[in-house]
Amino acid sequence: MRVLLTIFLMTIAMSSNAHFKLAQKEFKKSQKKKSIYIFNELFKSKYYFSALPFAAEHIIESKSISRDFENKLEILLLKTGTNSLAGMKNKDLLKHGSATLHLVYALKMFRLNKFKRAVRVAEKIPLNNKFAPEALYIAGTGRELLNDLARSEDRFNKCIKISGQFKSRANKEKLKRYYSVINESCIMHVARLYYKQKQYKKAIDTYNLIPKTSYRWPYTLIEKAWANYYIEDFNRTLGLVVTYRSPLLQSYFFPEAEVLNALSFYRLCLYDDTLTTIDQYYKVYKSRSTHLKKIIIANKDSHTYFINLAFSSLKDTETINPYIRNLITQIRKKIKFSVDLVSYKKAKNELKHLKQKRKTRFTKFLIRNVEHSIKWRTQHLNHYVKKQFFTFINDIHRFSYEMFNIKLEVMSKKRNLLYRNKELVATRSRGSHENVKRTIYQQFWNFEGSFWADELGDYSYGLKSNCQTVKVSKR
Amino acid sequence: MKLAILFILTFSTMAAEPKVIIEYKKYESFDLGNLEVKGQILAPGDLSVRERDRKVFERPLYERYEFNKESKQDIRNLR
Repeated sequence: MRVLLTIFLMTIAMSSNAHFKLAQKEFKKSQKKKSIYIFNELFKSKYYFSALPFAAEHIIESKSISRDFENKLEILLLKTGTNSLAGMKNKDLLKHGSATLHLVYALKMFRLNKFKRAVRVAEKIPLNNKFAPEALYIAGTGRELLNDLARSEDRFNKCIKISGQFKSRANKEKLKRYYSVINESCIMHVARLYYKQKQYKKAIDTYNLIPKTSYRWPYTLIEKAWANYYIEDFNRTLGLVVTYRSPLLQSYFFPEAEVLNALSFYRLCLYDDTLTTIDQYYKVYKSRSTHLKKIIIANKDSHTYFINLAFSSLKDTETINPYIRNLITQIRKKIKFSVDLVSYKKAKNELKHLKQKRKTRFTKFLIRNVEHSIKWRTQHLNHYVKKQFFTFINDIHRFSYEMFNIKLEVMSKKRNLLYRNKELVATRSRGSHENVKRTIYQQFWNFEGSFWADELGDYSYGLKSNCQTVKVSKR
Repeated sequence: MKLAILFILTFSTMAAEPKVIIEYKKYESFDLGNLEVKGQILAPGDLSVRERDRKVFERPLYERYEFNKESKQDIRNLR
């Protein structure tokens, strides 16, 4: 068996090498249309990153592309990432009517905030194409940002339906997961559409469709908490926000969740609890973020510091700063990071194989291109991680201003009570299950001081609103 | 003749303007206690302020109207 396997692998390697040699032979010639021939040979020998410039050349030079080339382009982009061809001119990306190139164009336009263009081209991708769910997701989001909410909902609903069908047809686990993420993302965006239209109950019901096992689920908690805040179920808001304190969600720290926490206590007129939340924010989070800022500002010009952080072990990152560990965990779970990281590793591996070959004009040309591609990918990944860090620090500062505003408002309320010779009905409201709003599907269990995985996201406080005032002398 | 008319006119003008010396009062005193104002009293005699609640100004606190920023980020984090 082992012998058979060795023979099989050797045959593949020999065949791959043969295709590479054919590409090299063609490279020496100076005839037109050689780029498609070299591309095909490099593609067959699985030198995807080396094949990229020849694919780009063929797209620019030719008037039309074949079905075979389109299929190979699909695979090429999945292996090397959509950004690989994003540098091409817009007219070249559009001229062939290729669904793969349309996706590259739509993503490119979206990044440039040109949503109308992104939507127009994303909607051209046929529904039977493997990129259709992603294209509908882009189109729906584009329309959401353009405030075309009815059409946006339609695109998201199509995305949910089609991604579900693709998922059930997919035979590989990785592909199933990809369609699941698209499906859950589209559900989340439908919930956001309801939220935007102040249909908070509908938004909550839609958020609840996302399973707790989903990668998107931790992000739904804060949005669901806001929806509950606006239907004035502050106890549920507090319960949802407190979920982030569970050990399982330790890495998900959102400064905004702390603000929502303080706001909910404030709306329940529990001013001392509000002030405690604010003080804790300043004492713990603000000081830690100042420390984090010092570390990252010192390395802000480095092209490799942040990518190296992302590659280092969680233990090492925790010793530098607890937020670094949490942020790295969050970043590693992001699809973009995983996809970019995979293509970065593949590019490095390809370079290693190229360097083992005999030095010719052709191999030197390929090495130069792949090295350039790796350099660009390193900087791109490093920038991506760095941006996440700086966004986090900026958020801490932005929300620190909001916290200060709440603190001033609490102080103003307390002063007004004093002027009117009144005080709140109780200095600290006690919790009771009578204050918990429940649907017929929800049951009540006491929180015994430990978080259980199946309970996460279903917590509610039982605090009574303390907003009733009484005359001081009457108490 | 002309000279006679001119002489008469000049003389008559000088005779019409006697020298006036205006003198202002250098000191005057008022007894405010004795002053009386005639009329009807419409307002209450004592000073009063109507009780009302203090105007409470509220700061605009943080609100969340949409998740546009997150939606944009979602697509950027896709690939």
